[in-house]
Amino acid sequence: MKYLLIGFLRLYRAVVSPLYGQVCRYHPSCSAYALEAVTVHGSARGSWLAARRVARCHPWAAGGYDPVPPSVRPTRRSAGPVSTSQQGA
Amino acid sequence: MGAIGDFFTFIATPLYYAISGVLILWHKLFTALGLDPAGGASWALSIVGLTLVIRAALIPLFVKQIKSSRNMQLIQPKVKELQKKYGHDRERLAQETMKLYKDTGTNPFASCLPILLQMPIFFTLFHLLNEAAKDYTARGFLTSTLARQFGDSKLFGSIPLADSFWGSGVWREGGGDLSVMLLALFLVLAMTATTFFTQRQLMSKNMPADALSGPYAQQQKLLLYVLPVAFGLGGVAFPIGVLLYWTTSNLWTMGQQFYVIRNNPAPGTPAFAAKADRDKAKAAKHGTVVEEVEAPVEEPRRPAVRQQPKKTTKQQRKSGGSKPGGGTQGGKK
Repeated sequence: MKYLLIGFLRLYRAVVSPLYGQVCRYHPSCSAYALEAVTVHGSARGSWLAARRVARCHPWAAGGYDPVPPSVRPTRRSAGPVSTSQQGA
Repeated sequence: MGAIGDFFTFIATPLYYAISGVLILWHKLFTALGLDPAGGASWALSIVGLTLVIRAALIPLFVKQIKSSRNMQLIQPKVKELQKKYGHDRERLAQETMKLYKDTGTNPFASCLPILLQMPIFFTLFHLLNEAAKDYTARGFLTSTLARQFGDSKLFGSIPLADSFWGSGVWREGGGDLSVMLLALFLVLAMTATTFFTQRQLMSKNMPADALSGPYAQQQKLLLYVLPVAFGLGGVAFPIGVLLYWTTSNLWTMGQQFYVIRNNPAPGTPAFAAKADRDKAKAAKHGTVVEEVEAPVEEPRRPAVRQQPKKTTKQQRKSGGSKPGGGTQGGKK
């Protein structure tokens, strides 16, 4: 399930994101956030985090720097297994 | 998958009602205007109408976005500072820039939620059309009679709205339908062109020259390859009726973009200079024709200039002084 979601998010970021250009009011962008959240926290919690982030990304939000919360387990995360510097939504 | 399927049905049901409702209202209108209720024109125009309704409903979000990007010119010097400081580190630069946007309550980006909310609408329309064509499925307000008309409707009397490029490929048994393929191809090209043009306008006219080098320029080049692929994939798989929705939506986006670039350009860009020139010409014209009008035209300028000294650098003040359109946004309230 996790890898299915990751594959889907990668596909989305490759094919759909470019259609819109930079849209997200946050950094990392919503789709980068979702990808990292699912990678770090697994499909259930990752999806939940991603859904909450997207719900936060509306025109009344101030935006800003909003990284994925670190995993509770002391695993490596510092650099993030996913590059979040890409643009898009 | 049962639970997940139920969940989607739960979400989809109100969507079916909303979308079929809007679609049928338009269809009633066009039928009342004399179009054949079972004809392609009435249903195609209804789809266009549906798109217009949805995009019009999103205008408040768009206005909010424009308002929140109004003060971009005030924070521009700070953005430049950050670029100088973190230019070598894209990740850090993005973090700090976003932090600045947040702290100043100014954010030029549209936000993701409205875009993601539009996707289910797209897929609902797709399902509605697909199932209507397959077995005249009645969904939402679409009765089985209407579903039959919708599913069987043919544009120009020969191109079924429910057919797709892939489904009517000429390699198929029976020869497929070349006209469907050509129309789909045309719509894909139209979408690619409008989107590319929208992005290009944004970059060449509404971005400061220094933002054009580096990542942005590269991105735009990439776009030239990615857009046809993305739209091409969709254009091959989705039926004509859905592509109509998509194309109309893209045209709307392009119009919106033009409006913003014309009336709300980012400072320090060609579009901004063009607007300043237009404003100047307008003021001059009004000044010569009617003396009295001079005053109200002058009015919005003053507060804009007056509020600048407290918050801006010398550079900013200089650029601020040269543009009489400083009240641009103020004038349009």
